[in-house]
Amino acid sequence: MSDKKKSLTVFKSDRHEDLAAIFASALIVVVVLTYMAFIVPSVGIKAPQDGKLVEIFVAEGADVKKGDKLYALEVVKKKWVNNVMEEKVAVESFTAKANGKVLKISGKPGEAVKKGKQTIVVLEHEKGTLP
Amino acid sequence: MEDKGLFGKILAIVPGLAVMIGTLYVLRVYVEPWMKDAVVFGSKGWLVQVLSLNYILLSILTGMFYRNILFGGKIPAWAEEGFRTTRLFIKTGVIMLGSLYTFDKLLKVGGVAITLIVAFVFGTAIFVLWLGKRLGADRSVTATMAAACGVCGVSAAVATAPGVRAKPVDLALSIATILGFGIMTMFVSPFVGKMLSLSDYQFGAWVGTGILNSGQVLATCLAFNPNFAPGTAVAYGEIWNVVRVICIPFVVFFITAWYWKGEADAEHVSLGSILASKFPIFVLGFIGMTALSSLHIIGAEGSETLHLMRDVMAWVFGIGLVGLGAYIDVREIKAAGGKPLRIGLIAGVTKYVLAMIIILAFIPKEGAF
Repeated sequence: MSDKKKSLTVFKSDRHEDLAAIFASALIVVVVLTYMAFIVPSVGIKAPQDGKLVEIFVAEGADVKKGDKLYALEVVKKKWVNNVMEEKVAVESFTAKANGKVLKISGKPGEAVKKGKQTIVVLEHEKGTLP
Repeated sequence: MEDKGLFGKILAIVPGLAVMIGTLYVLRVYVEPWMKDAVVFGSKGWLVQVLSLNYILLSILTGMFYRNILFGGKIPAWAEEGFRTTRLFIKTGVIMLGSLYTFDKLLKVGGVAITLIVAFVFGTAIFVLWLGKRLGADRSVTATMAAACGVCGVSAAVATAPGVRAKPVDLALSIATILGFGIMTMFVSPFVGKMLSLSDYQFGAWVGTGILNSGQVLATCLAFNPNFAPGTAVAYGEIWNVVRVICIPFVVFFITAWYWKGEADAEHVSLGSILASKFPIFVLGFIGMTALSSLHIIGAEGSETLHLMRDVMAWVFGIGLVGLGAYIDVREIKAAGGKPLRIGLIAGVTKYVLAMIIILAFIPKEGAF
């Protein structure tokens, strides 16, 4: 069996593989950022964790700026404090990550939402920004 | 060997890569959601909650199934080139993990990670060198095992072997021993972590210190908590992993210097030349990704952009882990034996248990970020 056959890489050496990995990750970043900034016209914003939708701060058609509050969720926050898991119910507000316009409000205050499942707000973001 | 040219080489990768991607697709899209809803022993989601079976462990198990049962112990020629992209996917995923941190977060745990890793890496290497002498093992075997157990499994053993004139069989036995130990810890650790109610911070620190192989550290952390986000087990475990990977050239230098010091025809060993040839430069990509994250160039935390980036990262890792499973040859592990096995098991278990004791004694449950 030749050395090439025993090799764990398709590249000439580990060093080449390292460079290829750097190139591949850079390519992924560029593709994702370009896709989100210039190709996707709008994004459906979903709950980042399970909870209950408490309030929606924006209306359909409204312009929003980066940092504006979009909605509030009642969530169970888990945190280790003095080596004991502390759970408390808290209301957390979530903000717009880019300037844009609210196209649709899909969530209703009072309804339970699952992480990454239901869309709460559909936002059209400015071209070139990252929603 | 016939030179296929660039196009031919790329074409040769396609079949094996298609198997890896297709496998992950089926596992993530069909099998994992089914397991979350499946009722076993009267409990919904038992497979996921009790057995910690998520797409990460399933990817590795399926890869092992392909290699050891479906392919009869050897990856067939038509798929071989594709499966050789495994480490490329894992390294790419490791670089992308840099997006989970900012430099201030790294600094918060960096000191603890560096202290623990340096102590364990060099402590284990010195312990193995002593143990090898005590057991009367060949110096080449001892040196290879010291690198394998001390720092980063396969990479360190392969990097050290030529410098200490290890025979291919010694290298193969060392790798088989530490991979066998790693596979065992990979499946056992999530249960132990849950049984002891370890937090993500403690679990990441323990696994990052106690497990010997980069892919296995990541897989174990993701089996404990499958989320890619700041503050999760994989986010902490990876800091430990990166610090350890950076140690590789220094450990290779240390062990090679030890070996030649005991030889009559001592050769000059320079740290500079070892750093130049062995430094794992993909770590620079990880640091670069953390720089982008620190400058908020890749999207704000909680943004849909980062969400998509982490989803892509999960796919990249998943593909790599199917490949990782396919490189686990049960027959090779069975072949492990003799002094390398004894040294590897004693050093591996000592490191694994000692790391747990130190984590429980000194690392708080609340994470630094």
